[in-house]
Amino acid sequence: LRSDQKSVGGGLSRFSIAASIASKTKTKKKHFVAQKVKLFRASDPLLSVLMWGVNHSINELSHVQIPIMLMPDDFKAYSKIKVDNHLFNKENMPSHFKFKEYCPLVFRNLRERFGIDDQDFLNSLTRSAPLNSEAQGRSGARFHTSYDKRYVIKTISSEDVAEMHNILKKYHQFIVECHGNTLLPQFLGMYRLTVDGDETYMIVTRNVFSHRLSVYKKYDLKGSTVAREASDKEKAKELPTYKDNDFINDGQKIYIDGENKKMFLEKLRKDVEFLAQLKLMDYSLLVGIHDVERAEQEEVESEDNEAEEEGESDGGGIGTPPDSPSNTLDSTKPLSPGEFDPAIDVYAIKSNDSAPRKEVYFMAVIDILQHYDAKKKAAHAAKTVKHGAGAEISTVNPEQYSKRFYDFITTILS
Amino acid sequence: MSSNCTSAAPVSASKTKTKKKHFIGQKVKLFRASEPILSVLMWGVNHTINELSNVPVPVMLMPDDFKAYSKIKVDNHLFNKENLPSRFKFKEYCPMVFRNLRERFCIDDQDYQNSLTRSAPLNSDSQGRFGNRFLSSYDHRFVIKTVSSEDIAEMHNILKKYHQFIVECHGNTLLPQFLGMYRLTVDGVETYMVVTRNVFSHRLTVHRKYDLKGSTVSREASDKEKAKELPTFKDNDFLNEGQKLQIGDDNKKYFLEKLKRDVEVTDTCFVLLFFLICMCFVFYNVVFVCVQFLATLKIMDYSLLVGIHDVDRAEQEEMDVEGGGDEEEYENDGMGGGALTGSFGTPPDSPGNPLNCGGFFGPGEFDPSVDVYAIKSHDSAVKKEVYFMAIIDILTHYDAKKKAAHAAKTVKHGAGAEISTVNPEQYSKRFYEFMSNILS
Repeated sequence: LRSDQKSVGGGLSRFSIAASIASKTKTKKKHFVAQKVKLFRASDPLLSVLMWGVNHSINELSHVQIPIMLMPDDFKAYSKIKVDNHLFNKENMPSHFKFKEYCPLVFRNLRERFGIDDQDFLNSLTRSAPLNSEAQGRSGARFHTSYDKRYVIKTISSEDVAEMHNILKKYHQFIVECHGNTLLPQFLGMYRLTVDGDETYMIVTRNVFSHRLSVYKKYDLKGSTVAREASDKEKAKELPTYKDNDFINDGQKIYIDGENKKMFLEKLRKDVEFLAQLKLMDYSLLVGIHDVERAEQEEVESEDNEAEEEGESDGGGIGTPPDSPSNTLDSTKPLSPGEFDPAIDVYAIKSNDSAPRKEVYFMAVIDILQHYDAKKKAAHAAKTVKHGAGAEISTVNPEQYSKRFYDFITTILS
Repeated sequence: MSSNCTSAAPVSASKTKTKKKHFIGQKVKLFRASEPILSVLMWGVNHTINELSNVPVPVMLMPDDFKAYSKIKVDNHLFNKENLPSRFKFKEYCPMVFRNLRERFCIDDQDYQNSLTRSAPLNSDSQGRFGNRFLSSYDHRFVIKTVSSEDIAEMHNILKKYHQFIVECHGNTLLPQFLGMYRLTVDGVETYMVVTRNVFSHRLTVHRKYDLKGSTVSREASDKEKAKELPTFKDNDFLNEGQKLQIGDDNKKYFLEKLKRDVEVTDTCFVLLFFLICMCFVFYNVVFVCVQFLATLKIMDYSLLVGIHDVDRAEQEEMDVEGGGDEEEYENDGMGGGALTGSFGTPPDSPGNPLNCGGFFGPGEFDPSVDVYAIKSHDSAVKKEVYFMAIIDILTHYDAKKKAAHAAKTVKHGAGAEISTVNPEQYSKRFYEFMSNILS
């Protein structure tokens, strides 16, 4: 390793870009401070390209004036960049790749409306490589989370990208009207990466779960009862995704007080109304449960056992890469067990006082890109290639789906 | 660089300090320019310096670095149309080599980036051989020359040896300081550009300019040239005017230090001169070493660019300006060689570049770490002057010239070219002798 590469294994920089620029401008002649770099090092070239691409895109946007309002063209726009290096920068990046960002100004505006600063977004996705996530979406979609677990990166299909374009204007309008207060996915960026001639589409959303508090039980609820049970294979995972029937059979309850429940259901009502209008369906309510005492116990155990040097592996405790400067969104004072910053963990709801266990619930709507018309077409095809075992051949329409969904959620909250 | 001030916090710093839901107004570099090619140049330099900041500085350069390039192609659709073309390409040749050269020439990458991106580069009146286009950075620290693809090929040929020479002389040379080499593609048209340090001062005006080769054939400024604001005079003009460059004892000490580091002197004639208390001797040696290097590489047809700053005249001009109009707009100076027409000119609201020292310079004074080619006239000189002298146009290779001369019609060589009958060795000798004679 070269002496001036300070960090290994995570591609960390000790300072934000700003600090590295500032420290370099302070250097005097013939006295150069060792470089602090973002190497975009990752286990997979695709992740390096993602890091490079987000870094590039946010930097490009910093040179584009923020418009007073979005124009129709912004919803059709894209930026594309193709890199071809020869004998240069080969260590962490592929020599040839492409990066496309869809509707950059729209997503910048959405990030702003969701209270996410572009620099923080950039840092989360570039300081250290995103991590593989065990979570599986519909049709085996691949998931990553940013290293700080604030954001989820989902690999999607080109049809999903097309659907996003179809709904983007209305989605944006909805976000404007509800002031960012919604249980719908917070779409923050949409990209196409080309490495070795292969195209991968990715979409970034805010993590439904907490970046700090661990989730020990997870449910994916639709309000349907057909084949809504976790398979044995799923149950074997570290954090299985349980479903409707499991929820009912487990006698699971969500203990939240009246006020929270009212706010939650109000949001949900508006959200599913919006989805029905757009003829979207087959979405789920993702529910994650954090058990406060259990988490305290786990932390005590991990402090006893492991050396705390490597904070990079997730699986429960607070994980920040060693030597990382605090993200501006990290609160300066440590939070006590079961406490959270609602500005970051926006979906978190505390259990009420009369709950048997002290818990924190994370609940939001996911997987909203399935359009009814596209479904009907696919269902008519002899062989539905994209839809695997997990798909439901539902006989309902979007209106009915939304009603059934809403009723089910209302029931489980009582 | 010695500087009394640190730079203002750049764009990204102000943004990381923002709290959630409280966004400070953007301070953006828009890359706005009068022509798309300049916007692409600004964007490209901004991009490549940022890219390099994510590539660790190696312990030493490898052979591959001299063959490397980075290429980027941008295709935007309905995005960022205001200041940039939607489609363009930007290629940087040998990025690691030029980064290393910038370091050896004591140019910080951030400063380099700022000079070329904070405000659009300015057109320069001066014309190189074959009508090459010249631009200067808005702060007049760097010159951007449009070159041909043959020049690019020649640069690649000499780059390793040039780099080695710079290593050995520790950046102390009168040769051009090559800082970056790029290819820009806009509207399908390719433009090659080389960035060098400005020979002239970024602050002190040059009142008279000469391009000297040591030849006497057609070495006179045309009437058309003389009509310009700052004409480029040539050898015959210099001699006919009885021009003198009086660089006496004052700088002897500084140049003797340079001499120590230089490659050893072989000509006995110069060993004799060594003992004369004449500062110009020391200068000779630097020139000698440089022309020797060029002769070794079979390069010729280069010139000594000479700019003269008249201290008294400049003081007078500044008083005139202060008496007259306001000093806000300095973007258009129209002077060749990158000199300013009046007093300090920085774009309005530009944060302090660390190279813009907080200290105040008196008339005729300069920071030698910034204006590296400046030499003061000696105390007993007739006029108080500052001279800027360096070698330019070093990319003509003898073999390429011979080939071109044999062609029935030398398309590229216009009226300004000399069909010289000398070879590089002879050229260097004649060049050197001429320079020796004009210094006193």
